[in-house]
Amino acid sequence: MNQVGSVGLIAALAFAAFALVAGAVGGKLRSLLAARSAERATLAFFAMITLAVVALEYMILTDDFHNAYVAQHSNRDLLTYYKVAALWAGQEGSLLFWAWLLSIYSALAVWQNRRKNRQLMPYVVSVLMGTGTFFSLLVFFVANPFQELSLVTSTGTQPFTAPDGNGLNPLLQYHPMVIHPPMLYLGYVGMVVPFAFAMAALITRQLGDNWIRTTRRWTMVPWMLLGCGILLGGNWAYAVLGWGGYWGWDPVENASVLPWLSGTAFLHSVMIQEKRGMLKVWNVVLVILTFFLSIFGTFLTRSGIVSSVHAFAQSNIGPFFAVFLAIILFFSLTLLFLRLDHLKSENKLDSIVSRESGFLFNNWILLALVFAVFWGTLFPVISKAVQNVTVTVGAPFFNKVAIPMGLLLLLLTGAGPLLAWRKTSFQSLKRNFTLPLIVALVAGGVLLAAGVRDFYAWMTLFLSVFVGVCILGEFWKGARTRMKTAHENFALAIYNLTMRNTRRYGGYVVHLGIVLLFIGFAGQAFKVETKGLMQQGDLLRVKNYLLRCDGLTTGDNPNYEYTRALLTVTKDGRAFASMHPEKRFYKASQQPTSYVAIHPTLAEDLYVVLAGMDPDTGKAIIQVFVNPLVMWVWIGGVVVLLGTLLALVPSRVEREMAELRSAHELTAQASDAF
Amino acid sequence: MRSRLTTGLLIGALATASVARGDSPRKPTLESIGNQVMCTCGCNAPLTKCPHIDCSTKAEMEAYIQKGIAEGKGETAILQDLTLRYGVQVLTAPPARGFNLAVWILPGIGLLLGLTAVVVIVRRWRRRPTVVLPTTSGSADPNVLAAVEEEMKSTGLGVRD
Repeated sequence: MNQVGSVGLIAALAFAAFALVAGAVGGKLRSLLAARSAERATLAFFAMITLAVVALEYMILTDDFHNAYVAQHSNRDLLTYYKVAALWAGQEGSLLFWAWLLSIYSALAVWQNRRKNRQLMPYVVSVLMGTGTFFSLLVFFVANPFQELSLVTSTGTQPFTAPDGNGLNPLLQYHPMVIHPPMLYLGYVGMVVPFAFAMAALITRQLGDNWIRTTRRWTMVPWMLLGCGILLGGNWAYAVLGWGGYWGWDPVENASVLPWLSGTAFLHSVMIQEKRGMLKVWNVVLVILTFFLSIFGTFLTRSGIVSSVHAFAQSNIGPFFAVFLAIILFFSLTLLFLRLDHLKSENKLDSIVSRESGFLFNNWILLALVFAVFWGTLFPVISKAVQNVTVTVGAPFFNKVAIPMGLLLLLLTGAGPLLAWRKTSFQSLKRNFTLPLIVALVAGGVLLAAGVRDFYAWMTLFLSVFVGVCILGEFWKGARTRMKTAHENFALAIYNLTMRNTRRYGGYVVHLGIVLLFIGFAGQAFKVETKGLMQQGDLLRVKNYLLRCDGLTTGDNPNYEYTRALLTVTKDGRAFASMHPEKRFYKASQQPTSYVAIHPTLAEDLYVVLAGMDPDTGKAIIQVFVNPLVMWVWIGGVVVLLGTLLALVPSRVEREMAELRSAHELTAQASDAF
Repeated sequence: MRSRLTTGLLIGALATASVARGDSPRKPTLESIGNQVMCTCGCNAPLTKCPHIDCSTKAEMEAYIQKGIAEGKGETAILQDLTLRYGVQVLTAPPARGFNLAVWILPGIGLLLGLTAVVVIVRRWRRRPTVVLPTTSGSADPNVLAAVEEEMKSTGLGVRD
């Protein structure tokens, strides 16, 4: 199987390199043959990388421990779905997985555009396969997962088959971890498609709205998947790491959020180009930045240039990525500079109080946030280079910088969509914002009366109410109009309203999801924590919860040994839950880890960790957190996902307009024929 | 204009730096200090968030902090002791002085420069004449226009989006 995988890889490399050249030649010489060859080579690239992935997965699933990668990242007793996930658990496998996802995106882009964007496609293929060539080179020559395990003896190096593997990192043995990395990678890799279309548009000078319209969905899908990946990562940190939180501003977490933020800026600013023909240069810059940051994220995860808790797959491949990043920047910025004359805005700004200005301010805050997070993440490297002192830039810095900017963004989430294109009158502002402001002020007063004194938490909840009322008001106003004019009931009116303009109302649903996320974030200000030593019969109180230890049990299964605390919890004197936190010891990797017990409710989570055993007393160290509003983070994430899916559905108006457009084109063609 | 811009940038930078410095004379706790220092076991996480079970380094650092608290030391003094013992990288964020001041100031400067850029762009946009793009005859299909009008009437949503 190692040979099959290697053949797949070398063939994939050859096809990618061919498609890169054939695409460029096809575009330059307008050769249909070369362009079609490039597209077919892209499909072949997909087939060959798939072959390599199947070969590696086959070896993992059949416990073929003469393969070095399998021996290092899997073991016989690992559950099947964790064995599948071992594909992306290490450096070599995850780079192969990256290349595979790229091949899927590339094949889909080629298939979807087989009859359209014919002038752009040769260059699109060339850029996609340029990236494919880079990853194939890396996987074949630098981080090849098809190496045989060997034993160094006095007589030389000999092939060796291990009796069992080292197993998967215990921290990765958690259900959402099976889908968290694929989601993140789908997000990172997917940003290559809008980048490829932007580059093709620059090369061919076709810089109208076409490339923007073509890439909108190609940007939304990876943006959505990246968001899911980030959220699943947060869920993993919350449920596995045992410190009671879901976001720690770790460099690798930051690297994932950077392209998501710049992608968010792009998805907003692109609307100005579609509606008003403005911000053309800026949109190209944002596409370049988003792709750059996606590769930068992969570079940061792999190179080890910054210290991270996610150091699962570090190696010496950093310089290769650095060169690739430099090529991306040089190529794209040079092209942008050469095409500046073709990127002039078509309109002027009519008023500062307008939707256009709202988007500009949204982009300003998002990009300032990108800069702040990027700067804070890289500062330790800069400090080491400049003053030869290693410093840490962690949560205190990012919280101080990001929270105020996040609050400004939250405000714009509600205010922006209520501004009209071109110009918003004072009357319109008054009409749209009076009720949300009154409701928010009342809610703010109630929060103060309830004892909320933390400024940021209060402000977050105040703004959440304001934005929530703004958005729900939009649904209400639209539905009321339909109820009057089309005589529909409320539910039908909401449904028809949404389906007639899925992009707009999907966007509102996304904004509602963001509000829920912020409500969840605000809960962190009210977190309560306690720790105690417990054995059978001991009690531990935290807030209005009382935990009673009913005993400690130990157990064993093929994968790990465990110590489990049996806890009965009462709340305000009434039975509440039975919770069983565990301390596990994984046999293959010889590593201990914790299994957190969480009892989630909409109001707060009770979060219990068996942190270890006290060596002096032999009692269990039980750490208990009461984490308010965490559930809203996950609910908010799901709402963002649903809103994005809704915005991806073609709206009725869009379909009707497309039908009209095609009927018009047919009529025009018929009249031309005469 | 330039002097106003410079003054604005300086005020913004100083404001950011003063927020960054914010050292309150509150009574220290293990959690308040544990959130400001890294566990030195190699996990690259703050002391309160070290994911390692039975981490001896964490236990040792916590004992050191508890000793400082028991001796009646303030938060700043305990953090200074930890810095002397483990080096400046033990702090979860660098102190806002010397070259490290840059990490605190630059985001503020970036924010202000961004705002300046937005203001400049808005001013230019407002002065710019509208570019009239050449259109092909008959591009405004009456059927399309009628559909648009119908849609706007049926939703009653006016010019927004």
